[in-house]
Amino acid sequence: MSDELENKSGYQAQSSETVNEYSGSAVGDVDYVRPAEVSDQDLYHGHSFITKWVFCQDAKVIGVQYFLTAVFTGIVGLILSWLMRLQLGFPGLAGFMTAEHYYQFVTMHGMIMVVYFLTALFLGGFGNYLIPLMVGARDMVFPYVNMISFWMFFVAVAVLMASFFVPGGPTGSGWTLYPPQAILEGTPGSGAGILLMLISLSLFVIGFTMGGLNYLITVLQARTRGMTLMRMPLTVWGIFTATVLAMLAFPALLVSSIMMTLDKVLETSFFMPTIIKAGEVLGYGGGSPILFQHLFWFFGHPEVYIVALPAFGIVSDLISVHSRKNIFGYRMMVWAIVGIGALSFFVWAHHMYVSGMNPWFGFFFATTTLIIAVPTAMKVYNWILTLWRGNIRINTVMLWCLGFIVTFVNGGITGIFLGNVSVDVPLSDTYFVVAHFHMVMGIAPLMVIMGAVYHWFPLVAGRILDEGLGKWHFWITFLGAYSIYFPMHYLGFIGVPRRYFEMYDSPYMTSGVGLNEFISLAAFIVGAAQFILIYNIIKTLKTGKLAGKNPWQANSLEWQTSTVPPEHGNFGEKLPVVHRWPYDFSVPGAKDDFIPQTVPPSEVIDTEVEKT
Amino acid sequence: MRSLLKKIFGTLAQKPWETDQAAIDANHSGQTFNLSNQMSAVIIIFGVSSVLFSLIFTGYLYSLPPGQDTTFILKTNLLWINTLVLILVTYFFDKIRRDFNNNLTNKIRKNLIVVGALSYLFLLLQLLLWYQLMLDGNYVSTNTYFSSFYFFTALHGVHLLGGLFFWGKVTSKLFKLDEKDYKNEKKNINALSVYWLFLFIVWFFFFAIMFFYNDAVLAWCKSLIS
Repeated sequence: MSDELENKSGYQAQSSETVNEYSGSAVGDVDYVRPAEVSDQDLYHGHSFITKWVFCQDAKVIGVQYFLTAVFTGIVGLILSWLMRLQLGFPGLAGFMTAEHYYQFVTMHGMIMVVYFLTALFLGGFGNYLIPLMVGARDMVFPYVNMISFWMFFVAVAVLMASFFVPGGPTGSGWTLYPPQAILEGTPGSGAGILLMLISLSLFVIGFTMGGLNYLITVLQARTRGMTLMRMPLTVWGIFTATVLAMLAFPALLVSSIMMTLDKVLETSFFMPTIIKAGEVLGYGGGSPILFQHLFWFFGHPEVYIVALPAFGIVSDLISVHSRKNIFGYRMMVWAIVGIGALSFFVWAHHMYVSGMNPWFGFFFATTTLIIAVPTAMKVYNWILTLWRGNIRINTVMLWCLGFIVTFVNGGITGIFLGNVSVDVPLSDTYFVVAHFHMVMGIAPLMVIMGAVYHWFPLVAGRILDEGLGKWHFWITFLGAYSIYFPMHYLGFIGVPRRYFEMYDSPYMTSGVGLNEFISLAAFIVGAAQFILIYNIIKTLKTGKLAGKNPWQANSLEWQTSTVPPEHGNFGEKLPVVHRWPYDFSVPGAKDDFIPQTVPPSEVIDTEVEKT
Repeated sequence: MRSLLKKIFGTLAQKPWETDQAAIDANHSGQTFNLSNQMSAVIIIFGVSSVLFSLIFTGYLYSLPPGQDTTFILKTNLLWINTLVLILVTYFFDKIRRDFNNNLTNKIRKNLIVVGALSYLFLLLQLLLWYQLMLDGNYVSTNTYFSSFYFFTALHGVHLLGGLFFWGKVTSKLFKLDEKDYKNEKKNINALSVYWLFLFIVWFFFFAIMFFYNDAVLAWCKSLIS
């Protein structure tokens, strides 16, 4: 270990002379770039297996660690959803399934997928891997803190999974964990289960804050020369804005988790009103369950955009690269990301229309909710206009992108239904809501994740995933997802309530029985189809086609590294210097249909970038 | 604030694909603000923790028990003494920062020790205050007024302990350096001094809320959000 510590040499500072030699000699030169003013970053290079792959400070390895851990939790969440669908489609078929088990599976599925899978994957996985590469940095600004961030997440996942094995099992209070029932006897997992969930969430938030600190400062302060904020790829804008949201929204989750832990352990009453149980007055009194709802949704709604904004950013870049066109309305796309992020803090109570709030309060939140549709729609128009007359490559990545646009529009439209108080109240707690949020923040972001995996896998592994398997994967997932969620909207319309273990002989459910069976079968197939990707990855790692450098002919910096996959430090001896934005595709007059960000103007004279 | 807003909106209005803008962008160092990474981290932690404490304050205002004497905690002398100690810590840290900037390095070691000692004294006095409250029968579960007080002060204490961890690292490093090399630690000292100021600001808000918010004001606030 001591030898490794001594190896903390890193890359040497570049002298201004070196920089001038590299970048041109004088102001006024077309290729002029500002000389380097700060010394290069010292990096700790691990050499043993432990320091290189386990307790590693390289953001790329940390990104992969986040990715794999998140995928593991996602598979657990997927299995739980299969068990739920088994019960809903074919009640009684799984003999072990009791109502308590069902509620526990619902709860764990929801929390795992939203927090431990999607959030961790987008911010921890893609954020770590892509931010330093895309902004031209050697690594995150605080690599050690970044490493701790992952291990906090890992411990949080371990604690959460441990709750499956404690007496009483995991909490079954619903993923929103509403008190008072979440911590009172009678709710499944109201003992150790809920405590482990709350501790895990607290650890997750603390760990994420460490990571978020890195993402923000790296983006703001550690970009390479010439990389202005408005020259950053939209992927970075999406992850950056989502991180800002997370840093401001997660404290609400932390506070509410700690308060509820205190309510459970020390019998405080932050969220607990006076309760009489079986004629006996419990020790609680004076607290407000509604306060918890406000705190939870102050986190919970921005959480939707914490997942969505990175997806928006990533899909913008994928569409631009694979349609060989600059992104339509780059500035508008940035404004929309920032605008959606800001607005997302003023809509939380639309999740609480049925909590008995003042009607004026509902009116305010319905208005803000509908306003958020404006920047969101702008983005959809811009994606479509980017595709318009593009030289579209219908490959697996593009299929996932197109699938995302359609699914996101679908889920967004049902969101407009639910944003209105008068429509939401009768649909509240029905399968319409379940269908809506699964389309908009489950399937849609998942399609982006898949597109991103197919797009960036060659960078991570140096090999291109099999296209044929990729297309099978896409079509089964896409058609299957619609087979699940379109009928689910109908179930909601006819009033089938969510979170019911069994419908028994409810007369209005007769038309829903066949549909539930169909949905369950589709869910089994879609879930199984995800293993095509795992097979594809294993197969590609063994025998896949070598990617070479920049297989998609993209412009952004992650494809301009000295080696593929990039080494620790990302860019070899010298950091890249940025001369342009990342969307110079099909530029009239240029030799190729792409001009990487590192190409100086002198190498592409007589080109004129299309106005946007 | 005006220049910050100008910077934000000015940035968002740029057209990076245009030749004129490209010439300007070529001169960009890659850094958005003229701040060290350490100072940037403290400012972000300031933002995140401010949300954390604001939510605790909101919870406090939301669920105060009716009839609770909201100035009860202020009646104990210890809270005033603790506030005075925190003011002193903030003053000394700011003095260290100013001395650093003016290259007056001879008293820095001594003042850093004073800062650490006063901070630990503050934590000790907080524990004493808790003990005093518990002797009077006011526990964390007595009612939401006391729950909020214990919760707030515990979280504030945790933040202070976090600061003391880094204070320990910087101070021990400084004691190993010659006076002429102190400048290597300037960024860390500046960042820590701002962090301590932040801890005081949070405490000040807490104190002001305890001091000013009486039943009438609370009733008005509750009517707004219920």
